[in-house]
Amino acid sequence: MTTHAEATAREEGKFTPQDHQSGMPTALVGMLLFIASEVMFFGGLFATYFNARATTSGAWGPPEGAHELDIALAGVLTAILVASSFTMQFGVWAIRRGDTGKLKLWTAITLGLGVLFLAGQLYDYSQLGFGVGDGVFGTVFYTLTGFHGAHVFGGAVGLTIVLARAMRGQFSARNHVAVEAVSMYWHFVDVVWIAVFSTIYLLG
Amino acid sequence: MLRIGLPLLLLGLLAGCMLPPEPVTETGREVFNLYLVVLALALVVFVGVEGFILYAIVRYRRKPGDDVLPEQHHGNNTIEIIWTAIPTVIVFILFGFSMFTLARVEARSDDPGVRIAVEGFQWQWIFRYEDGPTVTGSAAEPPVLAVPIGEPVRLELETLDVNHAFYVPQFLIKRDLINVPNDLLDNELEFTITEAGTYAGQCAEFCGTAHADMTFVVEAMDRAAYDEYIAAIAAGEDAPGGDTGDCGTTIELAAVESLLYDTDAIEAPAGEDFCIEFTNNDSVPHDVGIIETDYNGDDVAPGESITYVVPAMEAGDYTFYCTLHPQAMVGDLTVTE
Amino acid sequence: MATTTLEPRAGTFSRSWVIDWLTTVDHKKIGILYIVNSFLFFFAAGILALFIRSELAVPGLQFLDQDTYNQAFTMHGTIMIFLFVVPVLAGFGNYIVPLQLGAPDMAFPRINALSFWFLPLGGLLIFSGYLFGGAAAEGWTGYAPLTDDTYAQGVGTDLWIIGLTLVGTASILGSINFIATIFKMRAPGMTLFRMPIFVWTILVTATLIMLATPVLTAGLIALFIDRNYGGSFFDPSVGGNPVLWQHIFWFFGHPEVYIVILPAMGVVSEILPVFSRKPLFGYKAFVFATIGIGLLSWTVWAHHMFTTGAVFLPFFSFMTALIAIPTGIKMFNWLATMWRGKLMFTTAMLFAVGFISMFLIGGISGVMLASPPIDFHVQDTYFVVAHLHYVFFGGSVFGVFAATYYWFPKMFGRKLNEPLGKVHFWLHFIGFNLAFFPMHQLGLSGMPRRISDYAANPEWTILNLVSTVGAFMIAVSVIPFLINVIATFINGEPAGDDPWEGNTLEWATTSPPPPYNFDRLPPIHSERPLFFLTHGHGHAAERPEDLEEEQVHDERPADVERREDPLV
Repeated sequence: MTTHAEATAREEGKFTPQDHQSGMPTALVGMLLFIASEVMFFGGLFATYFNARATTSGAWGPPEGAHELDIALAGVLTAILVASSFTMQFGVWAIRRGDTGKLKLWTAITLGLGVLFLAGQLYDYSQLGFGVGDGVFGTVFYTLTGFHGAHVFGGAVGLTIVLARAMRGQFSARNHVAVEAVSMYWHFVDVVWIAVFSTIYLLG
Repeated sequence: MLRIGLPLLLLGLLAGCMLPPEPVTETGREVFNLYLVVLALALVVFVGVEGFILYAIVRYRRKPGDDVLPEQHHGNNTIEIIWTAIPTVIVFILFGFSMFTLARVEARSDDPGVRIAVEGFQWQWIFRYEDGPTVTGSAAEPPVLAVPIGEPVRLELETLDVNHAFYVPQFLIKRDLINVPNDLLDNELEFTITEAGTYAGQCAEFCGTAHADMTFVVEAMDRAAYDEYIAAIAAGEDAPGGDTGDCGTTIELAAVESLLYDTDAIEAPAGEDFCIEFTNNDSVPHDVGIIETDYNGDDVAPGESITYVVPAMEAGDYTFYCTLHPQAMVGDLTVTE
Repeated sequence: MATTTLEPRAGTFSRSWVIDWLTTVDHKKIGILYIVNSFLFFFAAGILALFIRSELAVPGLQFLDQDTYNQAFTMHGTIMIFLFVVPVLAGFGNYIVPLQLGAPDMAFPRINALSFWFLPLGGLLIFSGYLFGGAAAEGWTGYAPLTDDTYAQGVGTDLWIIGLTLVGTASILGSINFIATIFKMRAPGMTLFRMPIFVWTILVTATLIMLATPVLTAGLIALFIDRNYGGSFFDPSVGGNPVLWQHIFWFFGHPEVYIVILPAMGVVSEILPVFSRKPLFGYKAFVFATIGIGLLSWTVWAHHMFTTGAVFLPFFSFMTALIAIPTGIKMFNWLATMWRGKLMFTTAMLFAVGFISMFLIGGISGVMLASPPIDFHVQDTYFVVAHLHYVFFGGSVFGVFAATYYWFPKMFGRKLNEPLGKVHFWLHFIGFNLAFFPMHQLGLSGMPRRISDYAANPEWTILNLVSTVGAFMIAVSVIPFLINVIATFINGEPAGDDPWEGNTLEWATTSPPPPYNFDRLPPIHSERPLFFLTHGHGHAAERPEDLEEEQVHDERPADVERREDPLV
């Protein structure tokens, strides 16, 4: 996407204007790198989970007297979060087309689903009957799910900002890096949940 | 002569300064030999590279006023391949030697004649001889690990609290005392001592305040002497801590799970020595001390007991405590006329 | 010597310099803030080292109690690594990388500022333990369960955890900034393989920081949960696993030491060619060696755990030994750069050559440690202390001082005084070797580390005494350095744009550069863009391809050379 003027400008060693930059926008590169660091953070937490599971004798699960994990509820939460990734992506596609109205709609729905997820997570916590201090399983369960929840919360904050900015008309088809960045982060949060769900609930 | 001799001399001095102690175990000797090989290689590399640096500093120094650029070499594939290949070969050789020596160090005999359980705690050692006595060390008196020479001795290493490490420099080996859940890790050391003598050892994994004090001594002697020594300790164990006959009054005190005394108030008579018969029913070592008089009784291993003879005290209110766990284990000692 | 002509400066509104520095988002000012802050922590941690060495000079506890001693070496290690050597190199990176890339600033200037300000905050938090009953005292490696609340009571360790988490977050953000800047903001003509080696080392270092530090963060949070919420991660009395802490810590900890050394290697790779007046020998091999070290650094962590009995020794021993190969390649490339050069021994060059000779010793002791049987003997002894100081101090800190003398003129427009610099160097070099060489023998003969006192025997006493003398000599060597810096600020010799006849773009602008860095850039056709500007076209003994490009440039080619962007 370069013009002859830009080609000449490059040749003469002058700078090309920011909005003619080729490749992925810098802010998106930054978000991608941040996500990479977050993957490593969760990697560390997963390592503690697997190590705990491998070194604990007897049944692996909630302590005596506590409820078993509610896989059904977790499954519902998974569905909610996966759906929210779809709605987020619809929003991104909308603004790429220049449709601010649909962007606002899909972002609001995504935010709602995210909040629903968090509420469901908190409800689950309230029903479990064990805490982070109740043995190895309790510790790794709450740490892994808790930090994931914290990241959902962070994503929700990002979505709120995107929604607010969209409502102020700050996004267009050519200028909506923040939407792309937040959506990448949101998809990441979803993928981490799938990993958490598979590990804790499915793998057992 | 001087240009070669002097550097060689210095090098010899350097190398002589860079040696582990003369080993007194069979595997220690293997490690020492491995080290010599590695040191020799290291010296070759050291002399080669540092020598080149010194040479370059002198030979290629820019002369003042010389503004002509030297030849602008960017690289040379051949030589770069050579100096990648040669270190690779050296690495493989060193690795091979290491693995060979490692196998010897880690070899275990089928049935070692002597097994001793070594328990580390903050900040001393307990040695439990198989079918024999238990020896607990204290800061004032580090424990002696008696071992026979000429036959495999196996140590089973266990920590009662934080990480520690059993290290005897003259054996050229150490191993950590560390917990992993479910006994998935059982650290052991096995060695055969070649020479009778006294060898110093100490903890080599930082373990808190008095890590530096966590020392012990290895006494290596021939088998007959060893058997005698162990028997003597076992006999002496029946009357630890002093003359019970001197006790007008004996107070019973125990340590229980976890980090507690079984009572927080005891009474003693004033003006005369009295005894405390102390039993440790907890899983970590404890002792009994008195804050105001600085009395500090010997540490007692889990499951053991001791009779402390406490020097006469004046009437008054005092505090007894466990010097190893001063915050958790405290109580009132009332001394009355 | 190239000098640029400046366009009239853009008008800037005036504000007090305090507010300016507190709120700046200019990478040059932030770089200076990083460097100054780091040196302050360097002096603090250095004073702690003097306490340690004073206590250890002779046997017996003279003036420290055991607990104070343990806090001293814990704080010394933590502060030196996290608040001095990593940030100071990040500071030089911050200042120099955009300049070397021909960029006007870093990719994310405000995050750049945030990254900096977390540092003094985190450092003060870590130190504040002293005000609240005692600083952390479990060693910079903080092994569990010693760091659990049962054994490490008081808030010192919690403050250590929180401070480190902040500092770690700062460095992660900083690393993202560097990577984005390097991939997105290079000047036209600067392909990846025309970047200065310093930029390459920063790129690999930033990648390591970005991927390794979060693992430490996870571990620190887990430890905090154990200490304060009854967690069972590492506490064996409730089913936790102490070995897990070591795995998590060292999975971060080993890449961390390459984070510490790679930028310093980059600095040496900048300085050596300039003061040998030859290009860096084997540029491409250097790049691949750097990447190789970065990749291998992930595979060796458990060599810190050989004596636990819980790791697969052959794999980690082999991978550790392998790192000697790319490191050796770098070493030989540096030597070949000096070979048949015309060496100019400025202070920067002295520190760079000093780096090579000291790092060699550290590398050799490292290869020894890679062998498990040898490691069984010397692990946790002063042999390891010797090794780590030869690579951290003889390596990275020498690199830091080399960078300081090299880039000071660019940052402040004045050259540091050379004779004073040489006094600094020689005092520092001799003091350093006196302090740390005897530690090899102390460790080999069995003196463990982290002990406040040792058995009285003549060998250990003499070696410890010599070491203490060396430590004080290092402290004394700081004096001519500080005098030099202050005097140069007041009345130093003006440097001009390019006092050293440099090769890279930072020398193609004023000293210091204007806020926007460059008025115009020279054409970039090689990794030494300034060299060609200075020495003209058609210089003898150039690479054929460079020669071609120079001719092409003269004839204004029809085909415009396109910058390669790997992320397109």
